[in-house]
Amino acid sequence: MNLEKVVFGFFVMLAATLNFGFFIGDIDDPALHNPYELFAAVVVNLIATVLKFGDRTQIGAVHLATSLVADLQLIGAALLFGYATYVSTAGMNESWTASVVSLSGGALLANIVSVVLLVVETVSFHRG
Amino acid sequence: MGNPLLTFWRHLFDGDDEHHHRRAALRVAAASASQASATIFLILRRMRTPLIVLIVIFAVSVLGLTLIPGQDLDGQPSRMGFFDAFYFMSYTASTIGFGELPYPFTYSQRMWVTISIYLTVIGWAYAIGSLLALLQDRAFRSALALQHFSRKVSRLREPFVLIAGYGRTGELLGHSLDGLGRRFVVLDKDGERIDGLELDSYRGDVPGLAADARDPGHLAVAGLDHPSCEAVVALTDDEEANLVVVMSAALLRPELPVIARVTSRALAERMQAFGSPNLVNPFDRFGDHLRLALRAPASYQLLMWLQSGPGSELTDRAAPPRAGRWIICGYGRLGRELAADLRAEGLEVTVIDDHPEDVDDPGLLVGDGSDPWILAQADLDRAVGLVAGTNNDTTNLSLVAAARRSKPSLFLVARQNRPASAPLFAAMDIDALLVPSEVVAHEVYAQLSTPLLWRFLREMPGLGDAWAAAVIDSLTRVCGTRLQALWKVRLTGQEAPALAGWLASASARLGDLLRNPENREERLHAVALLVLRGSGTTLAPDEDFVLKAGDELLLAGRPGARRALDTTLFVPSVLEYVVHGHRVPSSWIWRKLSRTPVADAPSRR
Repeated sequence: MNLEKVVFGFFVMLAATLNFGFFIGDIDDPALHNPYELFAAVVVNLIATVLKFGDRTQIGAVHLATSLVADLQLIGAALLFGYATYVSTAGMNESWTASVVSLSGGALLANIVSVVLLVVETVSFHRG
Repeated sequence: MGNPLLTFWRHLFDGDDEHHHRRAALRVAAASASQASATIFLILRRMRTPLIVLIVIFAVSVLGLTLIPGQDLDGQPSRMGFFDAFYFMSYTASTIGFGELPYPFTYSQRMWVTISIYLTVIGWAYAIGSLLALLQDRAFRSALALQHFSRKVSRLREPFVLIAGYGRTGELLGHSLDGLGRRFVVLDKDGERIDGLELDSYRGDVPGLAADARDPGHLAVAGLDHPSCEAVVALTDDEEANLVVVMSAALLRPELPVIARVTSRALAERMQAFGSPNLVNPFDRFGDHLRLALRAPASYQLLMWLQSGPGSELTDRAAPPRAGRWIICGYGRLGRELAADLRAEGLEVTVIDDHPEDVDDPGLLVGDGSDPWILAQADLDRAVGLVAGTNNDTTNLSLVAAARRSKPSLFLVARQNRPASAPLFAAMDIDALLVPSEVVAHEVYAQLSTPLLWRFLREMPGLGDAWAAAVIDSLTRVCGTRLQALWKVRLTGQEAPALAGWLASASARLGDLLRNPENREERLHAVALLVLRGSGTTLAPDEDFVLKAGDELLLAGRPGARRALDTTLFVPSVLEYVVHGHRVPSSWIWRKLSRTPVADAPSRR
């Protein structure tokens, strides 16, 4: 067992699950989307991205790319959330919530691709 | 990664030999470049831990701030939002510190902030510290230097020379090439030499890489596979490295001319097996020069002058004794060459060496040459010349001094090994001084500068001493004792558009072309050294030489003369004045006004 692989798999999975947890629920109901979960998703995604630095393989490059996409979308979601709470006069209403959650949904897709890549890598390793 | 499309293209083009070589070279370069990017990946990998530590510390601090209850100004309980917490942590962690925002903190918040301040400062210090350490890392810096270098080389659009080995010889050659306005790329194992490139005052930008030339990958990065590379020069002081450079060039770019420095015959043989490199052996070449000096002092003087490049002074004409006995001290590579050369000239030779190895020489005397007793035994008083040819400068200097004291009229030849001894040898005023690095640099310069100069120098000794003396006289009349510009003119439609009609008339005298466009009674300050027609050459053509279209001329003279000649070559009315003495108006209006028939313009004939 390779500890590096465990840590790597852990963070990739955790990023995907946290993201999923935030995303699930009615898209325009703020009560169903906990900001702490979004915060955790952003942090774990950033850590997962850094873990993918410096991998020279093709699959490592795709890993890094999907992670960067997820970061971009989640940070966008966090910025929207911050704008809605602090700046916008309307506050965190349905439309803002829908924007934030849909951005996190995009990030979720990227995270799922990451997980699929992880599984593919593992399976092909066992075959080889 | 195996790409099926790429494989298909490879199969499609596999038959072509040219492609094969080019591709091999590209692969070599790619291997070296990927080494550089591997280092970058390693650096990224090493930044993982500091970055993750920083992210985690930030996340924990921000999360704590949002969870700990606070108070607003009215004493109502309120919690910090994520944005407030992140904003506060950002300016606190970077030690900017705007104070407690948005409301003054409660004690529980302050306790948490105290902890997180220590954590974040440690996190930042760790991350920035590791980043700075990586920037100082030698492997990282050399990887960056390699990338920078290969980018510079791949952006070269002019023809350039690849010089492997930038010692004293490389530096001399570099300055001569730079003087001609040519570009070159330098490779040397010694990083200090490459750093020294920046201190050298070159006009062009010289890309340099501190790397071992024995690695074909480094050669490829230095431009061996570059389409603009026009020649490869191997000048390292390691014979085997030179052999590897010759090999790599012959295998990866067989069409490129290669010039290599070599001092041993065995290695020369091995190099000859790879294509046909031009080998320069400083000792052999110096022996040839000495023979030339014995036979034809003026030819030797002209050879030395032209080889030293623009700006060099004419040296005095040496007059080595043609008959008598020579003493050679030091029977190494130089001593053997010179002994053979002098004997071939019919001179008697006595050799002195303190540790001769497997030598069977009739005139050999074993002992230390600087010992007066040994010199006396060699019968110095009845000798005509002495060669101080050991590989130790101190010994050579004391030999010369001792010999001169016992017989002032002796012809003295000395070998200078280290550049630092140059002023001492210059003060000694030696008749013929061998500086191996200079011999090699001059020889390579003559081969690279223009093919015409190289031909001139090779064919010139055959024309005799009196002829060479005449050429030197005409050169000194034109440009004094300091060699000015050397340049080449091709009488083609592109380089001499005004001349087409005149050249076809079969009365195109060289003397008419070399007149001053301001005043045709004056001769231009330039001398034609050589005319190349097809593959035949005419050395130092006289004024009545008839030029034809397609001739190539090698000219020596003042830079001003070069500009004046260019005017003659490009402007038809100037040519008309220079050749026939007619002032033809060059503009259309003046031609109409002065009623000069247009047909008179030489280009329209």
